[in-house]
Amino acid sequence: MFLVGSFFLFAAFLITTCIFVIFSKNPVNSVLFLVLAFLNSTFLFILIGAEFVGIILAIVYIGAVAILFLFVVMMLDIQITTLMFNIKRYIPLALLFAGIILAEIIYLTVFKTSKDNLDTFIRSKNNTEQIGDVLYTEYFIDFQLSGIVLLLAMIGAIVLTHVYRPTIKRQNIENQNSTTAEDRVKLVKIKSGEGIKDD
Amino acid sequence: MTSLSFELTIGILKIFSFVVPVLVSVALLVYLERKVLGAVQLRKGPNVVGPFGILQSFADVLKLLTKENLLPSSSNKFLFIFAPMLTLILSLIAWAVIPISSTYVIANINIGILYLFAVSSFGVYGVIIAGWASNSKYPFLGALRSAAQMISYEVSIGFVIITVLICVGSLNLIDIVESQKNMWFAIPLLPMFVIFIISALAETNRLPFDLPEDEATLVAGFFTEYSSISFGLFFLAEYANMILMSSLTVILFLGGWYPPIDIFPLNAIPGIFWFVIKVFLILFVFLWVRATFPRYRYDQLMRLGWKVFLPFTLIWVVITSAFLFYFGLLPN
Repeated sequence: MFLVGSFFLFAAFLITTCIFVIFSKNPVNSVLFLVLAFLNSTFLFILIGAEFVGIILAIVYIGAVAILFLFVVMMLDIQITTLMFNIKRYIPLALLFAGIILAEIIYLTVFKTSKDNLDTFIRSKNNTEQIGDVLYTEYFIDFQLSGIVLLLAMIGAIVLTHVYRPTIKRQNIENQNSTTAEDRVKLVKIKSGEGIKDD
Repeated sequence: MTSLSFELTIGILKIFSFVVPVLVSVALLVYLERKVLGAVQLRKGPNVVGPFGILQSFADVLKLLTKENLLPSSSNKFLFIFAPMLTLILSLIAWAVIPISSTYVIANINIGILYLFAVSSFGVYGVIIAGWASNSKYPFLGALRSAAQMISYEVSIGFVIITVLICVGSLNLIDIVESQKNMWFAIPLLPMFVIFIISALAETNRLPFDLPEDEATLVAGFFTEYSSISFGLFFLAEYANMILMSSLTVILFLGGWYPPIDIFPLNAIPGIFWFVIKVFLILFVFLWVRATFPRYRYDQLMRLGWKVFLPFTLIWVVITSAFLFYFGLLPN
């Protein structure tokens, strides 16, 4: 009873926050609602006993990804009216993706696994150990491939945005650290009335 | 129904038995900091309010409470008020999983260390929301610095924690402490211990890494616009976070509630005493560092995090696991 009640509570919160993500006028509020949505999905994972996945979701998405989103969105100076105009343009694409994800969920829940199976699988053992058992053995290739995809995305972003400018001055930390007082300062005795010779 | 309400009462009492000592030690820590700084700089420090000035921080809190809480007119009101509360709440809920002794803990969950890591990584939201909601230049710059800084140092903290976890074989904090009964991890993992303390300084925005509130360039950083008790909450949270990170250091590296050597007069002393004294020592290091080192420049800070700590910890994870694997010392 308690579990079912909490499920509906968190699920309702999750859907509400997701709606707010889309319809908030201020993009910063959208990101903050997104954080709440992540938090609620963490709770949902913990409710089915998948505490490892839940807390990793919290660490990765709330602790890193959403902060970077917030970081970028905070610095944008967005005109809210143009933003609302743009939303209408993207609706067909959004519906397409929503349809694909819905089809995936239906496929996985209805055809792929029965629910009892999932339940015993999750509760049979400490699920951190369970993931550890299969991650680097059964799913080794998939795991490495997803890592490579992420690496490619990162390198791609850097290549697209990084402009090498040879004219700007750069710091060389090793040079800075290896300089001594003799390299930079010298004591010059100046004869009266002559000034310093520039050499 | 009665058993439920009984359990609830016990739970609430347990929570209070953690939160009240933490808040009192925050006040004492502020006093200690001023005394240590005073001693380092050949001053007396606070010495008027109460015996040896020990009530100084309580007087300061009362002063903050009686002041007017200003709301900048162009700020986002809700988030402006929400940010300090969030910061304090996050610094207190982390105590739910900290084991003071082998039996005394509010929630003994089997992913305790991940919970702590998650909560400490949420801490940046308080700062970043405060900086944005103030709608002012200096807080905003402070928030940006803080976001980048805390994420950078979380990465190396993560690797340090992984090294410890490889040696323990469990994510439970009590298991982590109990596996150090014979040898504290600070000895075999000394470099990681040092890196963890330095990263903890950066994670709690303490000197020499207090760039988010850098008073020399940013007035007061992310809490420039805050006054009265909303400033007080940030202040409380910063010191509560310091105590939290020190406790985490003690749990991960200094054997929690175990005495230094397991011989008679030492192991007769209750574990909580050892825990508190170790936390105190780490806190003293925090204050000592503050009094000794100048503030880092921002690019130096980023370089240290990404180009020094990250490769070093990454290599150390590999070395530790290779060593354990080769000698067959891997847990279970």
